[in-house]
Amino acid sequence: MPLAMLRKGETACIKEIIGGRTAKGKLTDLGFVSGKKVKIHSSSGGPLIVALGDNRVALGHGLAHKVMVDTEGCES
Amino acid sequence: MSLNKLRGKNNEVKLALAGNPNSGKTTMFNELTGSRQHVGNWPGVTVEKKTGRASYQNYSLEVIDLPGTYSLGAYSEDEVVARDFLTTGDYDVVLNIINSANLDRNLYFTVQLLEMGVDLIAVLNMADEAEKKGIKIDKQKLGQLLGTPVVETVASKGRGIDNLFAETVQHRDLSEAALKIDYGSEVEALISEVVSMLKKFDFTGQINQRWAAVKLIEHDPEAVKLLEREVGASKAKKIKSLIAERELKAEDDFDNIIIDRKYEFINKVIAESVQRPAEDQELENVSDKIDTIVTNKYLGIPIFMTVMWAIFKFTFTVGEPLIGYIETFFEAAGGWIGSLLLGAGASPLITSFITDGIIGGVGSVLVFIPNIFLLFLAIGVLEDSGYMSRAAYVMDKVMSKLGLHGKSFIPMIVGFGCNVPGVMATRTLDSKRDRIISILINPLMSCSARLPVYVVFAGALFSNHASTVVFSLYALGIVMAVIMAGVFNKILFKGERSHFVMELPPYRFPTLKGVFIHMWEKVGAFLKKAGTIIFSVVVLIWVLANLPLGVEYASAESLIGQFGQLIAPIFEPLGFGSWQAASSLVFGILAKEVVVGTLGVVYAAGEGGLRAALTANFSPLAAYSFLTMVLLYTPCIATLGAIKSETQSWKWPLITASYLFVLAWVVAFIVYQGGMLLGLGV
Repeated sequence: MPLAMLRKGETACIKEIIGGRTAKGKLTDLGFVSGKKVKIHSSSGGPLIVALGDNRVALGHGLAHKVMVDTEGCES
Repeated sequence: MSLNKLRGKNNEVKLALAGNPNSGKTTMFNELTGSRQHVGNWPGVTVEKKTGRASYQNYSLEVIDLPGTYSLGAYSEDEVVARDFLTTGDYDVVLNIINSANLDRNLYFTVQLLEMGVDLIAVLNMADEAEKKGIKIDKQKLGQLLGTPVVETVASKGRGIDNLFAETVQHRDLSEAALKIDYGSEVEALISEVVSMLKKFDFTGQINQRWAAVKLIEHDPEAVKLLEREVGASKAKKIKSLIAERELKAEDDFDNIIIDRKYEFINKVIAESVQRPAEDQELENVSDKIDTIVTNKYLGIPIFMTVMWAIFKFTFTVGEPLIGYIETFFEAAGGWIGSLLLGAGASPLITSFITDGIIGGVGSVLVFIPNIFLLFLAIGVLEDSGYMSRAAYVMDKVMSKLGLHGKSFIPMIVGFGCNVPGVMATRTLDSKRDRIISILINPLMSCSARLPVYVVFAGALFSNHASTVVFSLYALGIVMAVIMAGVFNKILFKGERSHFVMELPPYRFPTLKGVFIHMWEKVGAFLKKAGTIIFSVVVLIWVLANLPLGVEYASAESLIGQFGQLIAPIFEPLGFGSWQAASSLVFGILAKEVVVGTLGVVYAAGEGGLRAALTANFSPLAAYSFLTMVLLYTPCIATLGAIKSETQSWKWPLITASYLFVLAWVVAFIVYQGGMLLGLGV
């Protein structure tokens, strides 16, 4: 499911990034790549605040819909 | 890459500082060169290339500071500056500044540079923050795996700088082979085919062919353009169709494979060289705790407004008594010097030049040094704390209704200091449409140059509510900016919405050094402006006030009086149709402080002070109307110049200048006439 659907406090594992070149490129640059663990710190209607390792990233809903995640978590 | 090697100059080293945003490049630049470039704790402080010099032993170093970028992909104007320099520029070594506490993402850029064949020293900056988080990096191992020297630094405390200098000069001729990442048999097969085609087509240049092949397989638009330029469209097409053909047969997208393999490589490097505390210790840190409050759905905007209000309250409450002292000083000096000069037999003309011109004009502006000082102190703290990105996040809700997003708010906050860097800060926005709208509304952010005008009027006419009046002007500016952004969004542009993604850096305690450097810079700039442009304009106005010869000083018959009377009717319906007010607004376009300077000269404020003159000549309502005019009307020429150079066209500065004048007139009209109707015109 897309990252945008997660609620505050939930963690998930990134499966893949969908979408066009620009969107994908920007997400990849910031470290949104498959196999990474993400945690939602804030989702209040506006952009999400996501914890990606030690990073905190504000992410608009458009982009958050392009990050496909698995709520089962990451293997390792 | 280096021309120096060709020139045979071996003690000249050209360094480029590159790395992710907010990794400390400019702090490092300042440490290396002794410069005082503006730094802050938010991504995107540096938007243009800056050059400085340093020397170490008998080496002479040229240091180039580049805007931060996450990759060579370059989605916004500031990133393009960095990318273009790194791919085609002339330099010996890149100092890749890396945030040690955030190694994996930073290394993604490092790896890209190394693949390109750049001579690079990996600088593990912010080593103290990594240490605090319990991250241990084996420098030697990391260097071995990446095939490049590694140095540890804490630029903000000047730690490791000598060592960095030593490594840099030692490795100035570093010619390591480009890093090779194994992209798996399928992609590798294609890479070697593309490379052999590139060879066949004589694609030479300075560019590493394997890197070019990888970029072409990734469909990098810049790489495709370069290829077409180098080998011609028809040969380029052959390569492109080869790639397309293979991609069709493959199961997965090649660019996915390339990205995944890059990160796999980085993960392997990190696994072998970095030790970090176990994952379950991932407790919420202090920054997160602050964020739950500051970015809260309901509290976010009120907190932001409170922060802004606190900044202005601080600027005035602390500034007011200081202004009083300076004012008293200038008034006393004016009177004393005046009588001294007359007593010494100086001509009345010279006495008037000193007291009315210099003291009345430049002095009226200089009085406000404490406010400028305090405002920039507060902005410095704001910028260094990490709150800037949060403010942008919080304002996203408002901005997105206008078709912009939160990131567009950062140039607006920068505009509170000065609109020139505010306009330049729009470079970090990646859609052209967002950039233009943000540029058009930036002058509505009330800059520090307008502050003296507010303070002098507020002190003269609204003494009990001075800070409320001034804060209301700032708020009015923001409201107008929001409204105009909505209008431009509707009428000017249709276009795709850009993506909002922005890092929220950890909060940091502002360092005394950082904040003071910032403040001194700004106060220095203010003094310089007072000594140059404000001084010149004030002298010009004083001369105009004395011509034609024999006219009574600053009377309606003087040239400045006649000039003002020509324009004054425009402002009559706004409540300030005097020639003094009119001419101050016209000259204020040269620099907004000049509004105060001009009024100081034409009201001969050297004696008696400007505030007294204003109380005698403006009603409170007319004064407020005048202040809204000053807030909103045509920006100063420096801002218009910045708009011209950022948009590469005369169209946008002309549009900005004219729409703002009309807007200002309309709003001031509503304020004054509305106030009259409500019976406030006494």
